[in-house]
Formats: sequence, structure tokens, C-alpha cells
Amino acid sequence: MKSHKNNHKYSVIVMVTFASLLLTACGGSGSGSDDDGGPVSSGSALNAGAGGPTGAVGDCAADAGGVNWDALMTKTCRNLSDYGLFQDPTDPTANPAKGGVAYDLSVALFSDYTTKYRFVFIPEGEKAVYRASEALSFPLGTVITKTFALPENTAFRDGNEQVIETRLLIHREHGWVAIPYYWASAEDATLAITGKSLPDMTTNHNGMDLTFTYSVPKASDCTSCHSIVPLLQGPNDKREPIFLPIGPKARFLNKDHQYANGTVYNQLLYWAEGEILQGLPADMAAVEKAPLFDELTTPDALDDNELMATAKGYLDVNCAHCHRSRLTLPDDYAGPAGGSGLQLEYNRPYVDDPSKFGTCKTAVAGGHPDYSADVVPQDAGDSYLLFRMSTNDNRHRMPELGRAVVHQEGAALIETWINRLPEASCSPTP
Amino acid sequence: MVRESSWRRWPAVIAVSVGILISGCGEDGDDGARGPAGTAALEQSVTTTSGFAIPGDAVFVAPDAVSGDDITEEMLLALFDVPDDSVVVLPKGRFTVSETITVNSANGLTLTGYGINETLLDFSTADGDDAIRFEGGIDVTIRDLGVYEAKKNGIKTVSANGVHMAYTATVWEGELESDNGAYGLYPLQSQNILVENNYAYGSADAGIYVGQSNNIVVRNNIAKNNVAGIEIENSTMADVYNNLVVGNTGGILAFDLPGLEQAYGGNVRIFNNDVYANNAENVGSGAVGIIPPGTGVLVFAASDVEVYNNDITENETTAISIASYFLSDNDVANYPANYGASMNQGWSPLVKNIYLHDNVISRNGGDPRGALITDIVAGYTSAGNASGMPQTMPAILYGGIGELLSNLDQLSGFNALVGADAANDGVDYDAYDAGDQICANSNINGNPAPDYANVNTGLVYGTTMATASFDGDGNPVPSLLIDQMVNNTYLNCVQNRLPPAVVNFKNNLYGCAGDDLAEPACSL
Repeated sequence: MKSHKNNHKYSVIVMVTFASLLLTACGGSGSGSDDDGGPVSSGSALNAGAGGPTGAVGDCAADAGGVNWDALMTKTCRNLSDYGLFQDPTDPTANPAKGGVAYDLSVALFSDYTTKYRFVFIPEGEKAVYRASEALSFPLGTVITKTFALPENTAFRDGNEQVIETRLLIHREHGWVAIPYYWASAEDATLAITGKSLPDMTTNHNGMDLTFTYSVPKASDCTSCHSIVPLLQGPNDKREPIFLPIGPKARFLNKDHQYANGTVYNQLLYWAEGEILQGLPADMAAVEKAPLFDELTTPDALDDNELMATAKGYLDVNCAHCHRSRLTLPDDYAGPAGGSGLQLEYNRPYVDDPSKFGTCKTAVAGGHPDYSADVVPQDAGDSYLLFRMSTNDNRHRMPELGRAVVHQEGAALIETWINRLPEASCSPTP
Repeated sequence: MVRESSWRRWPAVIAVSVGILISGCGEDGDDGARGPAGTAALEQSVTTTSGFAIPGDAVFVAPDAVSGDDITEEMLLALFDVPDDSVVVLPKGRFTVSETITVNSANGLTLTGYGINETLLDFSTADGDDAIRFEGGIDVTIRDLGVYEAKKNGIKTVSANGVHMAYTATVWEGELESDNGAYGLYPLQSQNILVENNYAYGSADAGIYVGQSNNIVVRNNIAKNNVAGIEIENSTMADVYNNLVVGNTGGILAFDLPGLEQAYGGNVRIFNNDVYANNAENVGSGAVGIIPPGTGVLVFAASDVEVYNNDITENETTAISIASYFLSDNDVANYPANYGASMNQGWSPLVKNIYLHDNVISRNGGDPRGALITDIVAGYTSAGNASGMPQTMPAILYGGIGELLSNLDQLSGFNALVGADAANDGVDYDAYDAGDQICANSNINGNPAPDYANVNTGLVYGTTMATASFDGDGNPVPSLLIDQMVNNTYLNCVQNRLPPAVVNFKNNLYGCAGDDLAEPACSL
């Protein structure tokens, strides 16, 4: 399906034609869940009638009567509304244009207690392909939107909130691109290539007012988190970073979602049966599943296995976009911070090499005299990793981007996890 | 690229094309919204203070900015999705930059100011960590500017092939303090790295640090008042020469640390450097926190290192210190548990094939100290050493415990941990053979009389049954051997010379086998 650089317009047309041929050939076939074939669509698909890129150069001003696919594929428009992704262009939190599907994650990247609204738009006739441990393989033309809103009170995520920004991930011909939009007014969001710094943002969390400077990321920041980098294999290795989505992995999608019409259903099954996902194993027990974690989870109530899985899920989605290496990535690729030796992927067994999770590992770059190792099992107070999650000092703060306040519940989870890890050589002697 | 004949006519053209590009950013940019920012102005000069000729088609960032202005937004716009082979020029003056500047996958980019003292970027109020960070990229140049008060690292590259840092300063002003950021110039996991004519001052970690990289030349730099002056870590094919390294806690370091993606380094040559008075107290943390203040050159758990023809002067603990990882972690029994995966990849706590020769060693050891070596210092400076009388701290100090344990066949169990690739590369835990040894000869005693006798070689542990000491249980204990450095008996051997590093940058070769063929240091 990958088309050549010089004649992509034609090959997209060919592709579309090809898809419709297949549509004829496979018309009436059932669920796509065990279908290994090419693009298939039917009237009941979630993206039926959504349209898709035509291969033509788009126009930000065009009224596409729905998603403005050609503009998404070829233009960086000034206004979010130019892309026609939402029925109400002033509300990116609900009612996507035809083809948009809401989703959420079992455990999410912490972003200063904001509420996030996610939608995926897959062109009509196309499907994502299941992958066991990496982000699903989304077809060209796929658009993912994520809107961040700061609630007045984190206990009541009922719409009493300030919509701040909407980030787009677009799968264009030469790879994914990210474009940030900032809601400067209630009317529309505008392109924010250089980000935005918003002082004096306030939310009430557990009865305490948190006031902080919220950072809308720069476009280049998007790449910082979303890129994997080559582990260069010699002086002539000139491979480049690869841009990838982070959240939509099977393990985070493998949970129930309450859809706008009230339906509650497992998201992966919903996508498969809605013909926007293929290759999902018939046996859902074989699909990775990160435990649910949110502000109401009580770490102390988890048994050791649940705690390990929950902590790993949290570390994965908050850290492992950078702190990862190899495993299920393309050969000799890693996250930008994989080289630190701290590698926190959910699909990396802790027991295989606890030092990858920081156990008894001296910080290579940086460090702090008060903490003897990244993770000191059974002594969270001596663990640099927990300190880095719990400080706002730029020199030490982790994650580097997107966090101005401490995620108290996340820190509590990791504190509990460290204190209940199996004893290691650096653990305090009883 | 340089069109000298007609540069004066360029600015107007640039202004027009930049204007088009700016509107393109919002309305009809293609993938990624290219949008070089700023407008061009007639400049008084088109060469930087180092002589770099700025081409007429360069992108001039905020050319009208005056000192004190915040140029963050202009920098971000100019460097976002920057076209191949761009020259991006930062203005003259001292400017505020309030966020991390990240540059992704730049190809052929030159980021330049007007000079190391002309274009200063002040990150002291930044809400970010690193000052400038390059992710990916091919043949990237950073030159003629200064980065001040970075919150974390100064200039970092990760996974770049072709990095040229020149006439660039990374500075934390004032006293050396623990919150002075992290690394200054910081190529990581990169290839073909040329770091030359830079000034690295005041880092709480290493002023110049090259990590997990290959094919590296670090020359003609000044590293001053950092915890570590220049550090080469888990890197191969590195030449460090003609640098002035002064006032740091430790001057020049070759480290191999466990747990990293590139498990080990090698073929590091440190030569013809001035390593002077590196006596700053250690305010660092993490790996560099172990460096004893007053250390000239430190080889730590690294192998295949040649240190020669350096002037190593007035470092108050030792001129050259060589230690296995057992110095910082002597829990040998737990190495498989703690470092097994790294050892599988070839990391080793041992030091092997270290060759020290023709260094001029003068007036070192005047005030030896360091938390990690308190007992060693106490032994040498009291009667508690092999000579039975107080001594000046050895100018060349070798730990020896790793070699002794190897020679006693107490580490051969680790051989089973070594993966096939590493084993094929020669990693083992057998008794040291001739090629593994630590050798020091032809070093020159630069002390004046009457202190001439005070330039010594010391071995903390004897490395053979004849020289080692044992307690009643048969466990090795420090011998604290000492001998004169000139014609010493303990490290009296010769190793093969190491081949030079070669940097290929934009298809030109740099280093002793490249542009420096005629450089005197390269024929030493």
C-alpha cells in the first residue's frame, strides 16, 4: 500500500480503485476480526460514509461536508475547524464527524489532571491492523485527535472545564505528523507550532487548589515523545527516527468504553466488529491488557501481581515512549532515552533484568546525592525514580514534558510498587 | 553554498522568500509546516569571529533583536522541520531563551551565532530541561554561540550521524555548584563526532561528554571548572587531544558503565592535553560523584585506552588513576545478579590494556582526598603502605584488585555470563595475559629538585601472588605498593599503539588520519 514518492497521487487513486474491487469481491463477508484480507467495507462499518483522502492537494477553506481528508493529508491549516473533524466545530470533546470513533485508555499519560477526549478517524474502507505489543498499525489517512481540558474540580469531570488544546496525529504519506492547536477562544482552535505557556491555570484536586503554568507543547515537542530513534550500527548507518502513536496499543484499548449512545463494550471488539480493526485474535485472553488505573485506584489494595502489572502499565504509558529499547520495535531502534539503560516497557518482564526498571541502577546522567539508585526495592525514599516523578525542579523532573504538577496518585502507586518489590542487593538490610 | 561576490544583494531576496514561507506556515505549508522565521537585515559582517562565512541564503533569526529580548519563538519557528542544508543564524547579543529548543532529524543543518562571545543564549529562566537538543539528524553543525545556565544539559545530540560542535560555549557562571545543570556538550548514541575549539565551564557533571558513541575526535577545547572536564563513556574510536583541562574535579575520564545500551567502549586515545590543577571539590552526583577531587586522568572500568604525551600538573590527588568497577562496588558475588545482563553484552568491571607513556607528570598529589579512596590516601600518607613510611600520593595509581582476582582465577565463573559476540571480541575473566596488562613507561618526572623523588607509581593491590597480600582467611587485602614512577617495576611493560579515530563529516575526514595529518600531536 505504500506508494512511491513521485507518483503518489496516481497510486492513491489506484489504491482506492483496488479497495473498491476488493469490496466487490468480499462484499457481505462477516466480521473483520479474523479477516486477513485487504481493505474491506460495508454499510455497517464504523467508518462507512466517512470518505477518505482522494490524493488531491487539499484546501483548508473547502467545505468537505465532513472530514476534510485532503487538507489533513497535505495542508497544515491555521484553524482546527478547517479539517471538519467535529460536527460542532467549537466542541472537540464530542460528536465527531462521520467516521470518528471515541476511545479511551486503561491507564493514561498524566497531563496535569486534565481530562482527555480522544477520537480516531480511519478513512472509509480502511482498517487498522492489530499488533500485539506496539501501537496498532493504522492505515494512511488515519487521524487521531486528543483534546485536553482542565476541570474546575478533578472529582467532577462533568464538563465544567476549560478546553485548552487539541492535538492531531495524522498518518500522511511519508509518516505520521503531529500538529498542536490551541483554543485561544471558544470559537476555534488555532495552529500553535511554537506552543503556548498558560500561567495561573487552576484546578481543585482533593480540596486543594493547584495553580500552575500549563504548557501547550511545541510541534517539535510532539516529536520528542513520539519518535523512536535508531541505535546507529556504525559510521555509515544513517537511519532516521520514526514517528509513532503511543497510546493506541492493544493493552491500553483492551477495556470497556461507554459510547455516546450508552453502549458499553470492549473497545477492541467494538473496532473489530465495526470493521476498522483486523487481525484481532479470536481469543481475547491472548491480548495484552494493562490494568485500569485512575485517581480512584488504591495501590495498597492490589495483590503483588496486580501491583506489578498496574505499576508497569503506568510506567509504560508515562515513561516508556522514551525509556524503551528494542523488544518489539524495528531492529536496532529505541526510545530517545533507551540509552540511559532505564527501560520501562509493559511487555518487558521485570524479573528478566530488574536493573532495566532501575533496580540498584546508578543514575548515569545526573543523579542526586540523596538517592542511591533509580529504584531501591523496599525503600522508595531512597529511589531517584520516585523523586524525579515527585519534583518540579527542571533538572530532575520526569517526564520532561507535559507535567507541571506532581501526579500524586501516580507517585503513590510507584511508591507502593517500590516498597513491595522483591528484595535486591541494594535493598536496606532488615 | 557561499556566494561571496553578491552577498549584499541577498537580504532583500531573503526577506521576500521568508515572508512567503511564513504565510505558507499557516495557509498552505506542506507536511510539517516549514516556516523559517525572522527577516533578514543588512549585517555588518558575514563571517563569524571564528571565520565561518555565513552564506547569503542563510535564515537570520530575529535579526533586529537586542540584548535581553526573548528569541525563543523565533528560534523554534526557524528550527521546526528545518529544510536540508539550512544555515540558521542567531543574532548578536545576549538573549533569553525560555524553553528547550528541540531540533528533529535535521539534515546538513548549521546552527550558528556570530561568535562564541557574540551570541549568548541565556536559559536561566527556561521552563525546560536541556537547552538545545538534536534528535536524529545527519551532519549537524553547532558553532559560534554560547549556551548559558541550562537547566539540565547544554547541547545534546541523540542518534545523530555527523555532529560538529565548534567555537561553542556551555557555561554555568559563578561557583561550581550542584545545581549547575548536567552535561555541557553532550553527543549521545551518535556517530562521527567532531568536538573542537569549544569552551565548557561550570557543569555539575561533565563539561564535554561523549557517550555510547563511535568515531569521535575531541580536540582544542577548554574544559574548566566542571566536575568532569572531558568524559568519554561507553564509546569506541575516540581521540582526545590538544585540550586544556583545568580546574575540574577530574580532568579527563574514560569510563565504561554497566546498564547502558552500548555495553562497552574501547580504543580511546588521550594525548597531548594540558591537564592542570583539577582540584575542584566534587559537587556531582551519579557516576561522576565518585571522582576524587584532584584527579588528572581517570580510567574507570574501561579497556583499550592509551594515555600519552599529556602534561599532567598540580592535580592534588593523582595524575592518572586506573580503577576497575570494583572500586565503587566490591560486592563481587552479586555481580551476576546486578550486572549480569550488561556482562552478557560485554560490559566488564575490569580494566585491561591501558598504556600510559611519555606523559610529563609534575607536582601532583599535594593534597590527596576523595570519599572513595580515603583508606588508600590514609595508607600512602602514613606508614600504612608497603614502604613503611609516609609517601607522597602516587602520581600513577592503579587499583589492581580486578587483575588480582582474575589472576587468582576467582572471576572465571563470570565467563559463563559473557555472550558470544562479546566473547568473540575478547571479553573474558581469565588471568591477565600480556595484552591485558596495565603498562606505564617512559613517563617523564617533571618535578623540580628536591621533590623529584616524590613522583611515584602505586598499586593498591599487588596483582600477582608475589606482590599481593592476604588476610588470615586468604582474602586479598590492599598492599599499597609504591615505587618511583621512572623505571618503576610494577607496570613496566609495553602495549601496542592504538589506531587513530576518524570522523567522517559531510564526506570530509577529520582527526589524525584526516585533516590533522600534519598536526604535531598526531605524530607523537
